[in-house]
Amino acid sequence: MSLEVWAEKYRPSRLDEVINQKHVVARVKVFVEERNIPHMLFAGPPGTGKTTLALCIARELYGEQWRQNVLETNASDERGIDVIRGKIKDFARTMALGGAEYRIVVLDEADALTAEAQQALRRTMETYSATVRFVLVCNYSSKIIPPIQSRTAVFRFKALSEGDVREFINRIVKGEKLKIEEKAVGAIVYLCEGDLRRAANLLQAAAALGTKITEGIIYDVASQARPDDVKRMLENAFKGKFKDARGILHKMLVMQGLAGEDVVREIHRQIYGLNLSEEVKVRLVESLGEYEFRISEGADSLIQLEAFLAQMAAYRGKSLKA
Amino acid sequence: MWTIKYKPKRLGEVADQAEAKEKLLRWLERWKPGGRAALLHGPPGNGKTCTVEALAAEKNLDLLETNASDVRSESKIERFLGRGVRETSLLGTRGKIILIDEIDGLEASADRGGIRAVIRIIKESAFPVVLTANDPWDRSLYEVRGLCELIEFRKVPLRDVVKRLDYICGREGVKADLKVLHALAEKNQGDLRGAILDLETIAQGRKRVTPGDLEALGKREQEANVFAALRGVFKSYSALSAKLSVSNLDMDPSEVFWWIEQNVANEYEKPEDLARAYETLAKADLFRSRIIHRQNWRMQAYMVDLMTAGVSQAKKEPYRKFTRYQRPERLSFYSKTMRERGRLNQVLRRIASRLHCSTRKVKTEFLPYLLFLMKRKEGFAERFASALNLPEEELDILSSFHK
Repeated sequence: MSLEVWAEKYRPSRLDEVINQKHVVARVKVFVEERNIPHMLFAGPPGTGKTTLALCIARELYGEQWRQNVLETNASDERGIDVIRGKIKDFARTMALGGAEYRIVVLDEADALTAEAQQALRRTMETYSATVRFVLVCNYSSKIIPPIQSRTAVFRFKALSEGDVREFINRIVKGEKLKIEEKAVGAIVYLCEGDLRRAANLLQAAAALGTKITEGIIYDVASQARPDDVKRMLENAFKGKFKDARGILHKMLVMQGLAGEDVVREIHRQIYGLNLSEEVKVRLVESLGEYEFRISEGADSLIQLEAFLAQMAAYRGKSLKA
Repeated sequence: MWTIKYKPKRLGEVADQAEAKEKLLRWLERWKPGGRAALLHGPPGNGKTCTVEALAAEKNLDLLETNASDVRSESKIERFLGRGVRETSLLGTRGKIILIDEIDGLEASADRGGIRAVIRIIKESAFPVVLTANDPWDRSLYEVRGLCELIEFRKVPLRDVVKRLDYICGREGVKADLKVLHALAEKNQGDLRGAILDLETIAQGRKRVTPGDLEALGKREQEANVFAALRGVFKSYSALSAKLSVSNLDMDPSEVFWWIEQNVANEYEKPEDLARAYETLAKADLFRSRIIHRQNWRMQAYMVDLMTAGVSQAKKEPYRKFTRYQRPERLSFYSKTMRERGRLNQVLRRIASRLHCSTRKVKTEFLPYLLFLMKRKEGFAERFASALNLPEEELDILSSFHK
């Protein structure tokens, strides 16, 4: 049964349907026609079609039975290189079905792999290159070690233009027979920042209200779909209720298992909407940047974000102009 | 208290120490006024004091006793023991025995002159005087030693401790594995009193004790030590003393870190103090991550200094209050929420695989909208669950994200 999630429902299934990325699609088509694909590395911003393209290649090569010749694994969920090697080995050892020469491993969010894990992956790629082709997908190719980059055909996905996003929105509008204001389309384009996944999600949530989609509805839905926890956490911190704020942070990081960076980004988005003096906002953003950097360098997100909240609590009632 | 309830009433009930008891009896028989005192020495909890008490009972003597918990300055000792030791009772029916317990607990300054008074009492007493000490070779006891017969009490052997514990269990109706009793004896290293105390701690009011119960014991002891260390960090003015207060903890510094982290918000009330303290902890954490990523263990020294000395200096002045410290939630929260997190993860995994992305993306990119749809769109949740092959209730776990 289909999932009824538009981002999935309107995910292109054929190479010709992929939004833009023409430079990549053109070359990939040649590979597919010759039925010989190299190891590939897809790098680019989120929601620009990297995973989609990988899945399209699989469909073009293997037809509707593509799933049996494709192993999809996500490095963000399976960081342990042992898991990956084990799974990949098992997969590579079984013959490709339907007369195919090789099978495909799509390793998504490959930039989540540590350097050591990537070294191990590199050996795996070599050992099984006769039977398996790898498609590595990541946001930043700089996070992939050079030996892997040199063994793959690297494709950089472009940030999508406003026109590209509009094209995608139009497909959904037609497919779902939606009534939508021109300005609302503009609002989606503005809010989704070139990320088609986000555009589809936003549109679907807005359409759930069942009326003509207006610009106001789009902004309304976007703010309602903001994680409420972050907002309450920040408000508590600023009211000086540090322990309550800390409790919410614990819940998000431990119970829900959110990544520290994701919480930081959400804080960043919400800071400007808070009832703070403009100067405090800027100071907070500056220190938030420092904390995010530390987290990205391996510091503990809980303690770093607690330090941020404590700092916020200390700004309460302070005039900064001194 | 079982240590009192099961105190030996007669010499024969005192565990082990046959040789010491024998010596003590002989000394008592031969004792005449002006004679040597007996100095019973040995590690704590092996029966020195209760042997004297049992002896008094058995010989029908009054016991005149003072111990380290009293302040023992010269004048106090004189006042308390002076008359009693010098005058035989007018009625003269009962003899006495004088016990000055924990003589090495006489502290130079607080008990000034205490030693002098003790020496005088030994010399002038009309009754036999018994002293006890853990360390008879302490320098301050040099003179006293010369006036005493030294009687050594050794560590109570393991099997005697086990036997005694087993006896107590029998009387208390507690079933305990021999393994547990052995572990208690082992842990207390010949200290029978300590072993009985531990036994009571884990067995009181219960019918059965198992090896698992032993864990509480270690933890409780450790906890008391951590609390003391936390006080040292939070209350001190001096950076060095804050740093030293954790140095004797038998705990991994990264765990101590979370104890400090949990309690700093209980201790520091001024937001500025708290902000400085957390920033210091965050910096300590940077050193922690350097240790891990570069295996540079030298960095641990800086991590520890920041989380102790650094946190102590984050306050403008110490808070004069009693703070109830807590165990770190961070550590318990993980285990408490394990089941729930497991369920959540399963649901997320299932969604992730259908949406060709990671659970992280599901959480950040899809969930806010999915929850919106479930709330606003009739039948969406039901159809979504059935597309995932999940009972609809399983989706409830996702609602923790939106409250």
